[in-house]
Amino acid sequence: MEKSTVVIGVIGADVHAVGNRIIEFALDHAGFNVVNLGVMVSQKEFVDAAIETNAKAIFVSSLYGQGELDCRGFGDYCKEAGLNNVLLYVGGNLVIGKSDFEPVKEKYITMGFDRVYPPGSDINQGIEDLKHDLEIMD
Amino acid sequence: MPTYLLFDVGSTYTKGCIVDTQKDEILAIANDLTTASIDIAIGIENVKRKMAPVLSKISIDQTLVCSSAKGGLKMIAVGLVPDLTLKAATLACYSAGAKVIGSYSFELNQSELKEIENAQCDILLLSGGTDGGNYEVVIHNAKMIASLAPKFPVIYAGNKSCQDEIVSLFRKANVDCVCCENVMPTYGILQVDQCRELIRELFLRTIVKAKGLSELSSIIDDIVLPTPMSVMEALKLLSKGTSTEIGIGDLMAIDIGGATTDVYSMNAHFVLKDNIGYKGLREPLDKRSVEGDLGVRFSAHNVADLKKDEPEYDHGMRDYLQQIQDNIHCDIDPDKDSVLAAWCTNIATQRHAGRLETSYSPMGVGYYQSGKDLRDVSVMVGIGGPLLHSKDPLSILEMTLSDPNHPEILLPDKLEYYLDSNYVVSCLGLLASRHPDTVVRLLKRNMEKII
Ligand code: B12
Repeated sequence: MEKSTVVIGVIGADVHAVGNRIIEFALDHAGFNVVNLGVMVSQKEFVDAAIETNAKAIFVSSLYGQGELDCRGFGDYCKEAGLNNVLLYVGGNLVIGKSDFEPVKEKYITMGFDRVYPPGSDINQGIEDLKHDLEIMD
Repeated sequence: MPTYLLFDVGSTYTKGCIVDTQKDEILAIANDLTTASIDIAIGIENVKRKMAPVLSKISIDQTLVCSSAKGGLKMIAVGLVPDLTLKAATLACYSAGAKVIGSYSFELNQSELKEIENAQCDILLLSGGTDGGNYEVVIHNAKMIASLAPKFPVIYAGNKSCQDEIVSLFRKANVDCVCCENVMPTYGILQVDQCRELIRELFLRTIVKAKGLSELSSIIDDIVLPTPMSVMEALKLLSKGTSTEIGIGDLMAIDIGGATTDVYSMNAHFVLKDNIGYKGLREPLDKRSVEGDLGVRFSAHNVADLKKDEPEYDHGMRDYLQQIQDNIHCDIDPDKDSVLAAWCTNIATQRHAGRLETSYSPMGVGYYQSGKDLRDVSVMVGIGGPLLHSKDPLSILEMTLSDPNHPEILLPDKLEYYLDSNYVVSCLGLLASRHPDTVVRLLKRNMEKII
């Protein structure tokens, strides 16, 4: 079967690069075709790349605490661009300080994300969820 | 080692030169002013007459021609996302010496299709999707284009996964379609070499016939290249050299015409300083860009519009622009032409160069690069009529330098300037594949340094 493509990147002006490389490695290892846009990625870059590569999912990372601002309107933008069936996952440090995760998660869900991960999440959890959502059997 | 007779036809001047590849010598150079209405064959005959004293003493082994006749090679580029496959397709057209007279992204609609039908292009380049990527859009576009039953050939350089489907679709519609590698096989990677070669072949096969150049076949052996492609081959060699003849290193070049301005940059390596990130499509090391809205005659008005705030945009300039508009062959004002050419250079090189983009956030400032970093390029070559006829070519070429007010535009900090004052670049490009050493030596000898 052809490999499913996942577009990954760190959104906004965020330069935290270490996690991004780990995510690329893990997804590749799990049998996905990874398009890694690296750090400082704009919404437009995510969307453009997903269109051309026929991506099944976009993994957005935000580590530096500005994720909410950077991700605003992301789901709508994807819909405008015709990416109706692309799964949108987001993770990293989405919670600032010690606030609760649940309300933050809600916000991201309303922004159009399908899955939202708390700080310190294991990327393998994300991959498992992706396989489930794409109905890929091991 | 044979002797060649080389011609560049189709522009204002028909240029010719005789090259002895044994002695590495240019035996004769001649030009003839040719208006578009006159037959190309007449221009060639006139040039030959001027070279008669030399021609009578030697025998010519081969006659080769590059041509920009009848508007040059006109292409339409179709892609998916404007910044990705459409940009890749456009760069492929430019690198093959074509002019892009229309470019279309996403699904074509009926009114765009009408435009394509009426545009009278020579070749259409269809791309879209990375390999294994999107195919719905490019298949849709192929069906739309096939519905026109076009007379022009189509090159398919998109997602390889649907190549077979697209070929059979065009074949059923009796459309002349050829395929090559995807111009953007994976995200951000540009791959134009095969496509460029295919464009060249099609140029020979169909275009030459369609443009009435075939009648020349009695006097020439081979119409080898579209003129800008020949220029590119020459500049590439001048820059890189060969294993036995060293080149002059990274360079830029500009050719300012009446309607368009071409900018070239030749780099040995991809430059990404200070470990900053790169965004978007990786541009080619040998890059040509064409500005269809910049030139000193047909596009003069548009150029001036973009420079309304400059002190040179005065009464006199407005009068001159009016004269040009009333009569494109009006008397030339060399000073004003120099100003127009300087503006063309300024805008065209700025569009050609890459950018250092800044990303501001509450957390500080981040940088990344898009396009080519040309800051370390140290040579600028001026080619084409308006530059060579100018009294002050230096003032024109200097407009390439980076602007202290815009450090984000990655243009050279310091340059040496050269002119193709003998009009040999386009002709010598014709020998690039056969006699590269000769070409490098002759180019180095014939570039006039200006200070
Ligand atoms: C190294 C580091 C830096 C380095 C980055 C170097 C580089 N180029 O990578 C430097 C010094 C540049 C830096 C700068 C800053 N940093 Co810093 N940095 C860190 C640090 C110490 C480690 C980050 C790291 O590499 N982690 C290891 C990787 C493997 O983990 P990860 O990034 O979290 O990614 C994993 C998971 O989150 C998950 N994941 C991530 N995305 C996604 C997405 C999906 C869909 C899924 C399923 C999973 C997933 O999988 C990844 C792989 O396992 C963290 C603290 C920490 N211990 O986390 C702070 C930290 C991230 N930085 C922080 C801050 C505030 C900054 C600065 C703003 C500091 C400043 N005031 O200047 C700047 C921001 C600069 C910018 N524009 O981005 C804060 C963020 C606070 C917040 N979000 O609330 C942190 C948390 C420190 C803190 N406790 O305050 N930083």
